[in-house]
Amino acid sequence: MTAPLPKRIIKETERLQTEPVPGISAQPHDDNARYFDVTVQGPDGSCYEGGVFNLELFLPDDYPMTPPRIRFLTRIYHPNIDRLGRICLDVLKNNWSPALQIRTILLSIQALLGAPNPEDPLNEAVAKQWKDNQAEAIKNAREWTKLYAQPKE
Amino acid sequence: METIAEVFTRYETVVTHKSGAQEDTDVEMEDSVLGEVLNEKIDAEGSSTERGRLLAAYILAVQGQLSLDSDTIKFDSGMTTAAERTADLTMLHDISDTALPQVDCQVCYNIMLDPVTTFCGHTLCRVCMSRVLDHSLHCPICRRVLALPPRIEEHPNNKTLVDIQNTLWPDMIKARRETVAAEEVGEQGDLNTALFVCTLGFPEQTTFLRIFEPRYRLMLRRCLEANREFGILMYNRYSEPQGDLGPVHFYQIGTMLRIIRVQVLADGTSLIETKGSERFRVKAHGLVDGYAIGNVEPIHDVNLAEEERIEAAETGLPPPTDENDVLGQIDRMPTADLLRFGQEFIRKMQGRSAGWLQQRVLDIHGQPPDDARLFPYWFASVLPISEDEKYKLLDTRTARARLKITAAWIRRIETQRCISYPALPTWVG
Ligand SMILES: [Zn+2]
Ligand SMILES: [Zn+2]
Repeated sequence: MTAPLPKRIIKETERLQTEPVPGISAQPHDDNARYFDVTVQGPDGSCYEGGVFNLELFLPDDYPMTPPRIRFLTRIYHPNIDRLGRICLDVLKNNWSPALQIRTILLSIQALLGAPNPEDPLNEAVAKQWKDNQAEAIKNAREWTKLYAQPKE
Repeated sequence: METIAEVFTRYETVVTHKSGAQEDTDVEMEDSVLGEVLNEKIDAEGSSTERGRLLAAYILAVQGQLSLDSDTIKFDSGMTTAAERTADLTMLHDISDTALPQVDCQVCYNIMLDPVTTFCGHTLCRVCMSRVLDHSLHCPICRRVLALPPRIEEHPNNKTLVDIQNTLWPDMIKARRETVAAEEVGEQGDLNTALFVCTLGFPEQTTFLRIFEPRYRLMLRRCLEANREFGILMYNRYSEPQGDLGPVHFYQIGTMLRIIRVQVLADGTSLIETKGSERFRVKAHGLVDGYAIGNVEPIHDVNLAEEERIEAAETGLPPPTDENDVLGQIDRMPTADLLRFGQEFIRKMQGRSAGWLQQRVLDIHGQPPDDARLFPYWFASVLPISEDEKYKLLDTRTARARLKITAAWIRRIETQRCISYPALPTWVG
């Protein structure tokens, strides 16, 4: 037996559909309204430009008291995203606040793609490359984007 | 979407326009005739009555002609025209529709119920604020430290906001209150018992618990609002199958605990003293706000006649063929002897100053009871043996069955040459 969906989740979902964030989509599963298929476009001007990244997002039972669980499904070369797609983002952890929402979190993730932070790495190897040879790292990120994050026609 | 300020600006344009016509008219203003005067004036302008009375009152207020303590305005005719009523309603809807999103709670996205305002000036529903406090000591809006009393119950509602809400949206507030009341019971259909998956509790025995996980703080608050009872269940570490429930994360038999005393610490953690009541078996379970709830059926002992029948049958058995068959001997002992056996063991251990029978343990659990039904529960509460062993006591239907279990423990302890008693934890559970 499952509890009815809180009004907050219904409202957030509605708004994601009616006023979508540019470059971001979030579609709940038919059989589980707490589970979303998410796509985020790489920001223009970043080394992820042109890429479309798939993520999965899950709203835990005590959402919004605890943050949504999110991870990248598409492989990405990024110092703050590890091989399992886990994301190092403060608002997804200690800096979560129930006043934040799916929309703001996805915007933060999009912003993270535009501003990789090798000083707070989750993926040590990538972060090291980013610090030692940024040009090479950016080239890798572009290649991976072409390789793994091409939008499906 | 329009803000309230924009709605007012829109109406103000109308007012300013109107007031121009009034300024050069020198009329003695009294509350009782204000409306009349105003209506006349507006009438004179030729666009009168469809403006409505609300706007008329607003115009007076804007012109500073409505004294603060006036609570009624008399209009020239006691009757309101249909046009006036329509105008009034339209304006009222305008204001309330625009103001409504402003009183939405930023946590639950519903109209704020029993709004509580923080020191930093942010307002949430009382239930939402409580839940925020379960997880964090920071304001969700501005992240400043929340200077609220540890028991949010002691923090008053935002009275002004409550008055405004009750005036503008009485029906929504009423509906919201009913929904929250239903939600805060923390039940789903016949899943009506809160379950704390943690450790063992026993009937009539005292258990102290420290509640620090956010989900259990919520559970505790709800229990205290309701009948002060919840079920305690042992964690099923190895995912052993639990009857029809399958390999659930708890053992299916537990004990209802009644909350005797609560102490809330500054960090929001609670220390609670509980007393066990009846045992139960979980028939169905679910999850609400992160903690388990269930449909449970009580487990009762058989009646005395049946208990005596079982005792007669077992004591009447021929002696075990193997004289080393300890369990066979225990099986045949009269119930009264089983109880005496346990009590004597306690006396013997006290004589040896066993650590697990220190005064502070007895202060919590009391002296060993004379009641054969309860002695095993008391014994299990003080004896430092594995929880899995103790769990066997819960699935019994006779005092005799439980005393046989405790007698077997004693036999085992006595045959062990060297027993090491682990230090007792300060807090059980
Ligand atoms: Zn709320
Ligand atoms: Zn604040």
